Amino acid sequence: MEDNQIQQNKNASGIQINRLRKTFLSAGVIACDDVDLNIQQGELLVLLGPSGCGKTTTLRCVAGLETPDNDDAIIVRGRNLTGVAPKDRNLAFVFQTTALFPHINVRKNISFGLNMKKTFGREEIGHRVNRAAEMLKIGDLLDRYPRELSGGQGQRVALGRAMVMEPDAFLLDEPFASLDARLRVEMRTEIKLIQRQLNTTMVFVTHDQEEALTIGDKIAVMNEGVVQQVDTPHNIYHRPKNRFVGNFIGSPPINEFDCHIEDKGDSTQVSSSIFSVPIPASHGEVARHGPGKICLGIRPEFVSIVDGPGDLTGTVKLNELMGSRTMILIDCQGHELRVLIQGVSGVNEGDSVQLRLDLERAFFFDSEGNSLA
Amino acid sequence: MTGHYTRIGLTERIVSFAVLFLILALILIPYAYIIVTAFKEPGEVFETSWMPEQLSFQAWADVFTIFEFHKYLLNSLIAGLGSAILAVIISLPGAYIFARKNFKFRETFFYLIVGTLVFPFILLIVPITITWIKIGLFNTFTGLWLAFQIFAVPYCVWILRGFFAQLSPHLEEAAMVYGCTQFQAFYKVMVPLAKPVVISVLFLSFLYGWSDFLFSNMLTTGGGPQTASIAIYIATAGGERIEWEMLAVMTLVAGVPPTVVYMMAQKYLSQTFATAT
Repeated sequence: MEDNQIQQNKNASGIQINRLRKTFLSAGVIACDDVDLNIQQGELLVLLGPSGCGKTTTLRCVAGLETPDNDDAIIVRGRNLTGVAPKDRNLAFVFQTTALFPHINVRKNISFGLNMKKTFGREEIGHRVNRAAEMLKIGDLLDRYPRELSGGQGQRVALGRAMVMEPDAFLLDEPFASLDARLRVEMRTEIKLIQRQLNTTMVFVTHDQEEALTIGDKIAVMNEGVVQQVDTPHNIYHRPKNRFVGNFIGSPPINEFDCHIEDKGDSTQVSSSIFSVPIPASHGEVARHGPGKICLGIRPEFVSIVDGPGDLTGTVKLNELMGSRTMILIDCQGHELRVLIQGVSGVNEGDSVQLRLDLERAFFFDSEGNSLA
Repeated sequence: MTGHYTRIGLTERIVSFAVLFLILALILIPYAYIIVTAFKEPGEVFETSWMPEQLSFQAWADVFTIFEFHKYLLNSLIAGLGSAILAVIISLPGAYIFARKNFKFRETFFYLIVGTLVFPFILLIVPITITWIKIGLFNTFTGLWLAFQIFAVPYCVWILRGFFAQLSPHLEEAAMVYGCTQFQAFYKVMVPLAKPVVISVLFLSFLYGWSDFLFSNMLTTGGGPQTASIAIYIATAGGERIEWEMLAVMTLVAGVPPTVVYMMAQKYLSQTFATAT
């Protein structure tokens, strides 16, 4: 029966999540509401969203640590795993808290899963542990106990425990959230390199959009139990499907204006209380939308300070140096607007400035918040 | 530190030392008296002099030859150890379930069990004795072990649940992802982690079984598994006179095992009660 199933779906080698629904009865919460995701073999998918959006619950359902409401929700390599015990799924999980076993040393922690399987000889286990330790640069920590490790070392060991299993997929639940910023950036690069090297499917949960953009092959943005958009990091950043995605991604955040569209014969104008500009031809979808209320979103890097007359004027409130870039906060008749420029700001607080909006790169959302594109 | 001392006046220091000395004396003098008495001749016990005229080991010999106190000690050991082991076997999974699983009336059941600790056990003596006689547990070790559980189980469940509740659930989940069934996750990861707490509750329930008098006295009779505390009681009650020197010897001897076990368990006890919430 099971073999037939595998035979049937031999092309599906990644992870399929089908209309996953998970309700927590005691809390009366729908954590996952018809989550549909298709993760290709060897792909690194990031589940991104604010806390409580259902991303961790989705991951835990894949691992078998939570039971979905529907019993065909989790298919891995063509095999329906819904209802299968976590240990029989051949998936490895990395917890935010590392969850290393405190009573055994690093070597035994890493080999724990292999020892439990009882199908591996001593030599094979030793070989796998050493190889993982080498990749993770923890060879000198093998005889230590978890309490003697730093946060970063602990998470490396947890990764090692996952790697030696040679699983069908790695599932990581905010593994670097409790590390300090610098280490987090290092670990990000490293995990991506390891994933490329092993070519193992990986699902990575995070609430950190920067982390998601840097490591994901694809990003699934979730909110309130619903997947908002699944796309490449580039498209998530530059073509958000709705206001939530547009707002959630990007730091400093997007500038938003409530606008309305006016048809002025030869051109279509988009107007707010503080500006009125013609819509470039490339945004045909806005013209097609016809007159009515919309929301215009524009990333701070696509607003620029110009010498000549611009689209709108404002007063500089604050210059914030962000390393190689500067964020300038501008007050436009009561509306706050963020401008991100390369290098050092040429304007001083209190200066009156002219601003140009690069509408080619702007987003337009309808009154429901969905992208017009 | 030196500044601290100079600020306290000399008089205050003398007074506080005097008080401390008095309290210390209250605790130590009875011990000293028992030790001294244990080495006195029977006729010398009621003499006013503190020290015996010469060291006598008569009482020590009598306790082990005539009275055969070692047999009672062995009974205490079996009663205490058996009770402690049984208590841990029952409480470990029980406490774990109370800490981890959600089920209806969980808190109600838990407080019903722990609430029995405030129940006056003396009220149970008669019904338990009658029941034990009826079902053939009277005058057996099994009967004693089971009776001791009335106190030991709620106590162990209470302490162990507190320990399990503060452990991250991710630990068992990790165990289950990496090859364990739920039960294996419990005994391969949670139980080893609970080692200090298990040793502590083993010690406490051993101590309870070892020194119990109430149940041991009612549930056993001559020829049965009478424990050391019963033997001491018999020594005070039987015969034409109270043999104080033998009583002193037995008291001292009966106090040794708990002391030794305490010293072995001390490290774990302080860990357990330092982290208990």
